[in-house]
Amino acid sequence: MKKQNKERSLRFFGIPRLLPWLVPFRKRMLAMVILGVLSSLVDAVYPLFNRYALDHFVVGKTLGTLGIFLALYAVVLILQVLDNYVTTYWCGKVEMGVDETLRNAAFSHLQTLSFSYFSRYSVGYLHARIMSDTETIGGLCAWHLMDIVWNGAYVVCVLILMFVLNAGLALRILPLVPIAALFIWFFQKRLIALNRKIREANGKITGDFNEGITGASTIRSLAIGDTIQGHFEEDADEMRSLGIRAGRTSSLFVSTVTMFSMFALAVVLYQGGKLTLSGLLKVGTLSAFMSYAVGMMEPIQNLIHTFSQLIAIQANIERLTDLLQVKSDVTDTPEVIARYGDVFHPRRENFEPLFGDVEFRDVSFHYPDGEEMVLSHFNLTVPRGMNVAIVGETGAGKSTLANLVCRFYEPTSGQILIDGRDVRERSQMWLHSNIGCVLQTPHLFSGSVRENLCYGKPDATDEEIWQALDIVSAGDVVRRMEHGLDSEVGEGGDLLSLGEKQLLSFARALLSDPKILILDEATASVDTVTEKKIQDAIRKIIRGRTSFVIAHRLSTVVDADLILVVRDGKIVERGTHRELLRKHGYYRELFTRQFEETAADLA
Amino acid sequence: MKREDTNSTTSLQRAAAGSNAGLLRCFLQGSFHLFVISILCSLCVSVLDLVNPRIIGYAVDTVIGSDAQLPLVFQLLPGFSRLFAGVGTAALTVCVLALAAALFRFLAGTFNAKGAETLVRRMRELLFSHLLRLPCAWYSENQTGDIIQRCTSDVETVKNFVSEQLTQLFRTILLIVLALVFMSGISGELTLLAFAFIPVIVLYSLFFHTRIGVAFQKADEEEGKLSSIVQENLTGVRVVRAFGREAQERDRFETKNRSYTELWVHLMKLLSAFWASGDLISGLQVMAVVVVGAVFCVRGRLSAGDYIAFITYNSMLTWPVRSLGRVIAEMSKAGISIGRIREILLAPAEEAREEGAKPDLHQDITFSHVSFRYREGSPEVLTDVSFTARAGQTLGILGGTGSGKSTAAELLDALYDLPRGSGGIRIGDTDIRDINRHYLRENIGFVQQEPYLFSGTLLHNLTLASPAATKQDVLEAARISCLDEAAEKFEEGYNTVVGERGVTLSGGQKQRTAIAQMLLKNPAIMIFDDALSAVDAATDAKIRRELQKKSKGTTVLLVSHRITTLAGADRILVLDHGKVEEFGTPEELYEKNGLYRRIYDLQAAGREEENAG
Repeated sequence: MKKQNKERSLRFFGIPRLLPWLVPFRKRMLAMVILGVLSSLVDAVYPLFNRYALDHFVVGKTLGTLGIFLALYAVVLILQVLDNYVTTYWCGKVEMGVDETLRNAAFSHLQTLSFSYFSRYSVGYLHARIMSDTETIGGLCAWHLMDIVWNGAYVVCVLILMFVLNAGLALRILPLVPIAALFIWFFQKRLIALNRKIREANGKITGDFNEGITGASTIRSLAIGDTIQGHFEEDADEMRSLGIRAGRTSSLFVSTVTMFSMFALAVVLYQGGKLTLSGLLKVGTLSAFMSYAVGMMEPIQNLIHTFSQLIAIQANIERLTDLLQVKSDVTDTPEVIARYGDVFHPRRENFEPLFGDVEFRDVSFHYPDGEEMVLSHFNLTVPRGMNVAIVGETGAGKSTLANLVCRFYEPTSGQILIDGRDVRERSQMWLHSNIGCVLQTPHLFSGSVRENLCYGKPDATDEEIWQALDIVSAGDVVRRMEHGLDSEVGEGGDLLSLGEKQLLSFARALLSDPKILILDEATASVDTVTEKKIQDAIRKIIRGRTSFVIAHRLSTVVDADLILVVRDGKIVERGTHRELLRKHGYYRELFTRQFEETAADLA
Repeated sequence: MKREDTNSTTSLQRAAAGSNAGLLRCFLQGSFHLFVISILCSLCVSVLDLVNPRIIGYAVDTVIGSDAQLPLVFQLLPGFSRLFAGVGTAALTVCVLALAAALFRFLAGTFNAKGAETLVRRMRELLFSHLLRLPCAWYSENQTGDIIQRCTSDVETVKNFVSEQLTQLFRTILLIVLALVFMSGISGELTLLAFAFIPVIVLYSLFFHTRIGVAFQKADEEEGKLSSIVQENLTGVRVVRAFGREAQERDRFETKNRSYTELWVHLMKLLSAFWASGDLISGLQVMAVVVVGAVFCVRGRLSAGDYIAFITYNSMLTWPVRSLGRVIAEMSKAGISIGRIREILLAPAEEAREEGAKPDLHQDITFSHVSFRYREGSPEVLTDVSFTARAGQTLGILGGTGSGKSTAAELLDALYDLPRGSGGIRIGDTDIRDINRHYLRENIGFVQQEPYLFSGTLLHNLTLASPAATKQDVLEAARISCLDEAAEKFEEGYNTVVGERGVTLSGGQKQRTAIAQMLLKNPAIMIFDDALSAVDAATDAKIRRELQKKSKGTTVLLVSHRITTLAGADRILVLDHGKVEEFGTPEELYEKNGLYRRIYDLQAAGREEENAG
C-alpha cells in the first residue's frame, strides 16, 4: 500500500469526525475555554496596573491609593494563579481522557476486525495508530485548543484595550499585525518544508546504521567497510547541511520577529511620545502601549504555529477515524449474535459441543486483496480425528485452508461445514473456543508461564497444566525455571529459547483441548535434542483430533492420513505419502528437494 | 575516504575510557569554537537588549520633562545627549539597536546550529566507523535495536545537551549578570529586592524537576508496558482469535490504559501545581518591584523613565530564570546517554593486522586441531577438527543443524578469530592469524545462506565489492549464477531497487545475487555456506555446472546439508556435533557405510519408498 503523500485537507481540520468521542468531555472543555479567556484578559490587564502606578504614584507623586492598589493587584494575581491551575489540570485531564477513550475504542475495534485488515496493514502501522495518533489527538483537544484560546483571547483583549485607551495610537500600530502575521506564516511554511527534508535525511541515517549493523558480517566478508563508510559520510554531510540550513532559517525567523516587536515599540515611542509631549496622552498609557506592542508578537507567532500543527494533525485524525470506522468483512448475522452472543459477550450456555467433522463443499476462494481464485469448487471431507498434512514451497499458499477452517476469511462461494452445519450458522466465538492453533513462530504473551498456558483454559488446575507440559516434554524446562509456573516469560516470550517457546505453545494448545487443531510447523532450526522433543510433541497432540498441519517435517508428512500438495496457491495433488510418491508428480519433486534437508538432522 | 586514521581512533578509545567530560571534549573537536562564537554573539544580543530600556526610560523622562539622565556610556559620547532631545531620535535608536540585535541573534542561532550539526556528525561518524571495525562476535551479543537507539537518540540527547541546555545555561547566567549590572545602575535596593527571588525560583524548580523526573520515568515505563500489550496483541492476533480471547485482551488493555492514564493525570496535577506556584512567585516578584518602585518614585529616588526601564529589565529576567531549574535538572539525562555511547566506543575493535602477510591464497588450506566456541562458557561448536582442502579442488562439508559446518567457514574468512592455543588454520604455510585481514577477506569469496542485500539497485549490490567491474563482467557473473533470468523479469532490469526500500527478492534470488557478487570479486577461495538452499534442484545443478567451469584453479568450500549439492566435490568432510565424523572422496564415504551413507540413503528415501511399494 503506497501511502498518499499529498495532504488532503479536511473540513475544520477533520475535527468534526472526532465529535462522537468528544461528547463526554464537552462540559469540561467549555469551562476550560471560559477560564482560558479570563486568564488572558488578566494578562492583558496587567499593564494597566503599571499604567495606574505611573500616572498616580510616579507622576502624581502620591501614595494615597497604594493600599487598595496593592490589594486589588494581589487579588487579581491570586485569582489568575488559581484559574491557571484549574485550567492546566483540566487540560491534562481532558488530554488523557480523550487519549484513553480513543485508545480503548481503537483497541477493542481492532479485536473485531478480520484478517484481511491485518494483512493489509503492518503491525507497526496499527501500533502507531493506537499509541501515537491517539496521543496527538488528545493533545489537540486540550493543549492546542487552549493555545488558540489563550493566545487568541490575549490578542483580541489587547486590541480592544488599545482602542479603548487611545484609538488614534491603536490605529497606527494595527497595520503591523497583519504584516507580521503574513511574514510569520511565510517562515512557518518554509520551516515545515525543511523539517520534512530533515526527517527524510534522518531516516536515511538510521537506515545506514541499520545496514551497518544487520549487514555486519556481509560488510566484513566482502571487505567493503570503506565503501559503506563513504556512503554514510555522504548522508551525514547531507544531514549536516540540511540541519544548518534549518537552523539558519529558524534563527533568521526568530531574530526578525523580535526585531518586528522592537519596531512596533519604536512606533509607539515616536507616535505616543509626540502625543504625550503635547499632553494628549498620559505617560502611564504610553507605557501600557509599549508593553502591548512588545507583547503582541509572541501570541501571534503561537497562533500561527498552532494552526500549522493543526494541518499536520489532520493526517492523524484521518488515519485514526478511518481505522475506527472500518467494518469487518467476517461478521456474524444478528440471529447468530442473538443466540450465541458477540465477541465481547459470548453466551457460552448456548454453545453446542463440537466434534470435528470438517467439510469443504464446493468452496471457491480468493483473498480480498487478490483477484486470482486460489480455490475453485474445492471439495474435501475430513472426518473427525483425521490428520491432514499440507505441503508446498514457502509462499505457495499453504495456510489458505487453515484460514478458512478458522473462519479468519470467508469463502467467496460455497460452504464450509463443521459437524454437518454451515460455520456461519454459529458464532466465531463458538468456533474459536473449540479450535486450537499453533503457529510457526510461537507467540507467547508477557506474563507468567501459567498465564500463558491458561490462555485457552482460564480455569485449568496446576495438575492439568503439569500434565500437559509433561505430555509435550516441556515439564523439565519449566521445573528448571526459578519460579516454576510463576516464572515470567518476558515480552513475547523473549526470556525463553525458540524451542522452549514452541513446546509451551504446544502445551497451551493441548490444555484448551480443541477438537480441531491447526498447526503450522516451524522451519527455524533448533538443536537436535529439542527438535526430537518437538516432533514427539506434535505426534502426541494431533492424535485423536481433526488436524491440519502445515508440514515442514518429514515425519509429520509421512505419518499423515492425507497429504494436500499446494503449488502457486492451488491444491495440485492429494493422497497418502505412498500414493503420492508413486504418482511421480510434483509431490515427489518437492519431497526429494525439501525433505531431504531434514534427513541430515535425522541421521 | 577514511577520515579517521588509526591514531585518532586510539585517542578516541583513550577518551572513551576516561570521564564523560573527556569524551565530550573529544566529541567537541571541530565544533567547540562554533559554540563559543555563538555564546559571544548571545552576549552582544543581551547587551543590546539591555540598552533599549534605558533609552526608552530616557525618552519617557524627556517627554514628561523630569530630570532625565542618560546611561553612563552615552554620557561619555560627546554631543550624544543633545542628539537625544527628541523622541524621534530615541525611536530611531531603538530601531538601530533592534537591527544590530537581530543581526547578532541571527549569528548566534546560526553558529549554534552549525556547532550542533558538526558535533552530531562527528559523533555519528566516530560511532559508525567504530561499528565497522567491531568483530562479528560483538554483534551477536548486542541487539540491533539497542545499538541503533544509542547511535541515534542518545546522540541526539548529547547534541541537545550541548547546543540547547549548556548554551542556554551560559546565556541565562550571562543575562543575569549583565542585568544585575544594568539594574543596579538604576537602583541598588530595588535590584536586591528583585534578585532576592531568583535563588528561590531556581532552587524551587530544580527541586521540583528532579522530583518529577522520577514520576516521568514511571509514566514512561507504564507507557512501555501499554505499548507492548498492543504490540503483543497485534503480532499475536491469530492466537487471540484462535483461542477466542478478545474480551480478555480488551479488559487487559483497558485496565492498563486506565492506570497509565491515572498516572499521567496525577503527573499533570503536580505539573499544574508547579506551574501555578511558579506563576505566583514570579507574579509576586513583579508586584513587589512595581509597588516598591512606585514608592521610590514618589519619594523621588527614581525617575519615571528609570522606573519603566527597571520594570522592563525585571520582566526580561522572568522566563530565563524560571527555565533555569528545568535545564539544570535535565542535564543529568545527557550523562546517561554519553555513558551508553561510550559502551560502544569502548568495545575492542578487530585487529586490522595492517602489517600482516599477504601470501598467495591459491594454496592448500589446512585446519589442524581446531576447537572453537563463540563465547566464553558456551558449548564448543568445533572440537579438534583437522582436515586439508587441496588448492584448486572442491571440498564439500556435510552436516546437520548444529554440526559446526558454517563455523568452519566463518573461521576461514576471519569473521571470528580463532584464539591462539586452540589449533590453527593455515593457507600454505601461513597461519591466517598472521595474514592482513583486509587482504584475506578481499580474496576469499563467502556466500551466506541468507545473504544481506543493501538498499540500492541490483547493479549497486553486484558491484559493491568490485567497483571496477564492466557491464560485460556483470552480465557474465549473472549468467553463471542464473540471476539473469530473474533480472530480466524485473521491469527495470539490473537497475531495480532492492532491499528494504525496494523490491523484495525471494531467498533464491538473493542467493543468486550474492553468488554473482562474489564471482565479480574473482576470489582465490570461494566459500558457499548453504548458499544454494533456496534455489530449486534444476537451477542448483546448473549453477554448480557453470561454477565448476569458472572456478578452475580456485579452491572451493561447499557447505551443505544436501547430498546432491555436494555431488561434484573432490572430497567430503562430514561433521557431526562439531567433530569430524568422516573425511574422504564421495565414493570412499559411500562404501564406508557410515554417517554419509545414512544421510545419502535417507535423502534418497523417495526412490527407496517407491521401490519398496
